[in-house]
Amino acid sequence: MLNALLFVGLPYVAIFVCIAGSIYRFHSNRFSYSALSSQFLENKKLLWGSVPWHIGLGILFVLHLLPVLMPGPWAVLVANTVALWTIEIVGLAAAILALGGLGLLIFRRLVNPYVQAISTSMDFVVLALFLGQIILGIVTALSFRWGARWAPGTTTPYLWSLLTLQPDPSYVADMPVVIKMHITGAWLIVLAIPFSRLVHVFSLPFEYLFRRPQKVVWNNPRRSQARAAEVPVVEERRLFLRGFAGLAAGGALLSVGVLDKLVRFYRGPSLSPAEEAELMERNVKKLQMTLQEREFELERMRQDYILVARLSELDARRGKYFIDYQMRPALAYLGEDGLPLFISAKCTHLGCTVQSDMNAEGKILCPCHVSYFDVKTGEPTPGSPALTPLPHIGWVVMDDKDQVIASKWPGKAVVGKVPAESKASCRVFIAKEHGETA
Amino acid sequence: MDVKAQVSMVFHLDKCIGCHTCSVACKNIWTDRPGAEYMWWNNVETKPGTGYPTRWEDQEHYKGGWRVDEHGGGDRDLELRCQSKADSFLKLFYNPNQPGLQDYYEPWTYTYQDLFDAPQGDDQPTALPVSQITGQPMDIKAGPNWDDDLSGSPIYAENDINLDELTDEERAQMFEIERMSMFYLPRICNHCANPSCVASCPSGALYKRGEDGVVLIDQEKCRGWRACVAACPYKKIYFNWKTGKSEKCILCYPRLETGQAPACFHSCVGRIRYLGVLLYDADRVADAMKVPDRALVESQRSVLLDPHDPEVISAALANGISEGFLEAAQDSPVWDYVMRWKLALPLHIEYRTMPMLFYVPPLLPVLGKGENGVFENTAGGLFGTLDKSRMPIKYMARLFSAGNVDVVNASLRKLLAVRFHKRAQQLGDIPADEVRRVMHEAGLDEEAAEAIYRLTALPTQEDRYVLPPLQREEAVAGTCNPELCKGSCGLGFSQKPKRGA
Ligand code: SF4
Ligand code: SF4
Ligand code: FES
Repeated sequence: MLNALLFVGLPYVAIFVCIAGSIYRFHSNRFSYSALSSQFLENKKLLWGSVPWHIGLGILFVLHLLPVLMPGPWAVLVANTVALWTIEIVGLAAAILALGGLGLLIFRRLVNPYVQAISTSMDFVVLALFLGQIILGIVTALSFRWGARWAPGTTTPYLWSLLTLQPDPSYVADMPVVIKMHITGAWLIVLAIPFSRLVHVFSLPFEYLFRRPQKVVWNNPRRSQARAAEVPVVEERRLFLRGFAGLAAGGALLSVGVLDKLVRFYRGPSLSPAEEAELMERNVKKLQMTLQEREFELERMRQDYILVARLSELDARRGKYFIDYQMRPALAYLGEDGLPLFISAKCTHLGCTVQSDMNAEGKILCPCHVSYFDVKTGEPTPGSPALTPLPHIGWVVMDDKDQVIASKWPGKAVVGKVPAESKASCRVFIAKEHGETA
Repeated sequence: MDVKAQVSMVFHLDKCIGCHTCSVACKNIWTDRPGAEYMWWNNVETKPGTGYPTRWEDQEHYKGGWRVDEHGGGDRDLELRCQSKADSFLKLFYNPNQPGLQDYYEPWTYTYQDLFDAPQGDDQPTALPVSQITGQPMDIKAGPNWDDDLSGSPIYAENDINLDELTDEERAQMFEIERMSMFYLPRICNHCANPSCVASCPSGALYKRGEDGVVLIDQEKCRGWRACVAACPYKKIYFNWKTGKSEKCILCYPRLETGQAPACFHSCVGRIRYLGVLLYDADRVADAMKVPDRALVESQRSVLLDPHDPEVISAALANGISEGFLEAAQDSPVWDYVMRWKLALPLHIEYRTMPMLFYVPPLLPVLGKGENGVFENTAGGLFGTLDKSRMPIKYMARLFSAGNVDVVNASLRKLLAVRFHKRAQQLGDIPADEVRRVMHEAGLDEEAAEAIYRLTALPTQEDRYVLPPLQREEAVAGTCNPELCKGSCGLGFSQKPKRGA
């Protein structure tokens, strides 16, 4: 319930209030639509506060946005260790820069009587929110490593589920508390935008890049009558009103949609008889398919050996996926001894499939809630949501005459040997006799 | 040719008595509000002096106005000195060129209520100075005109940046007791034809009115980015610390629209101010401001258009300038001073904003030479030559002609000739051929000298302020039905500047 509230209710409320509130404030009190600059009253500390803060925050914003906007290319990028390190270090540096700037800004607002003369309580709320947010972000980056890697599988689908109006908090519901607080903090900041100086993010003057240096406005229509080509002020105003109406209508539609989804989410699905019949039909079909699949499985399980790969195909760092006797995913590596090393790929936390690529420390990642497992021992890294190790799986090596030349029971020593000359031709299997112990 | 009309101004510096009535008139109407206490849209400086804000003329420091960018092949481009389009975004968070409170002064008031509430005692109760920003008791260290009448010269007057090019000897002479001289320089926004403030505004809140050229800040569009404060080389845009918006002289446009002269003009004790329409060719403004410093004054004049020229008149009418406006342009005292007689000069035209406020340079400090502590009163003594002037011409040229001594000299010579002419006429103690020689050297005929004398010494209010009809009623009719808009024209923005967040 709390998860639904924090990761579905709060975001929708925050986004709705942010959009509607900002439009309303622009309309009702345009005069206040900016950050109230205090540079005139105090400018030395502002330099070392505001500039690092805005630059740091800008970098962090982009780094958080990219994996959301293009999860595919991002995942490819961070698969490269150098790129990953670069991104993480840049992010951490930006966070420290922003934290330093923010600290100075807070200090300045607390002690300088001139700045205090124009401070409101909302200014302090905003500062506190950001302070908490940056600290949580830094803790997340340090204690749950490689956010750049796990984000595409967790927070990105979560955000997209929100954006596509199919909210699914389960992507983040099981994450460590710190990360959950960080996400909640983000929504609180979005919520605060229309009520605080933060509206200034919507007044960034991009039009300045494209406009001519001088600007002339005519008050009376004489000029436009004389030169029909000129667009009079009246027109401008009308255009603006029209644009605003469009925006408002869009906003209203969006909010109706969001509200509708919200209500549905909490009330659960309700179906008409026709829909129900259709659903039943689909279910029956599915059951039939499942039955078929089960039959295949049973047949498979009746075999004594199941082929995994040629020994020469195995790699020390990039695992090869296969399915074991229990129809669970597993990974095949080439061990340090030149013999196969099989490990279950079903995460011991909630059962996601663990990724096949080892990182520099010989660990593989479950992207669902960020668990790292050591391939050699199967042990999860301390602090991971998963608590128990991934089990190793036994194997059998046969030569090209289908003779078993080596085998290994899980937890036992290797029996037999693989002669060098047959390395190229022999194949690796999992064996039924290893059975349930696998 | 894109003919535009500009309500422009002439200040005759010989007549200014430095009474600050203009500043107070303006303050009482426009800047007597929280957040605006420190602003003086009209201020009067003593020259030599550092002015308000302190050393505003130092563009190495404040980076106001335009600079010329020389490309290969003789191409010249105007660039803002304070920002480029790209780095203007970084300067949103912190503008390195924005003057701070300490560059102006900290506004204060006194605890007057204490005078009434103090309990009976042996001592007189006193009203302590308190800051108008923090409300705390404060030490008053400086005010907006702390250097008035050369007070504190070693700190202020001697640091006047316009003295930089003088030799040490010339400087020493200027500040010698008994030789010391000064004059007053009243300043308002110049309502420039090539305003750097407008060009710098990221939000597009600043604009020049098409009809009369008044430069205004749309308070609802202003997002408080402060670029204009840095960009105006005259430092005539002020940041309201309470509302977070920039503000500036509005040339009392609500008064103009109802046929009254701006408050500072109306209240001027010395009657130094003239207001009238100038026509100019907006197409040529930017190019005219690209020429080398020495040629700038002449270049500005070349952009101003003769309101009697039939070609100009028809182009103006085609551009939507009304006949009433054209009539005002033909009667304009500003045209007379700036173009007919070429007496009035722009202030610091080297900032290249093409200011539309012109100054008749002061002759007074140039004259009045004393010998052995006795001031000579004879024609010969009073009207010594310009080269012997107490205020070095080079200094005047730094202010009024971007360093071009000839331009200032030409103007001063004419002023001098008018005096010769009148002295000979009224006291008859100067030989006629001497007068003729001086008049000839200045390039003046008797008729012109008489006209200059009349407009300088004996003008009526109607002569000084030739206000064009601003046709506000047409503007109202253009925006909405007069029946509906009745009583709602005039000040466009009347919301109370209240901010919560
Ligand atoms: S003097 Fe006035 S018009 Fe000229 S740049 Fe400054 S504020 Fe703008
Ligand atoms: S009111 Fe007139 S005479 Fe007095 S200071 Fe102002 S400009 Fe000069
Ligand atoms: S399923 Fe949660 S960490 Fe693997």
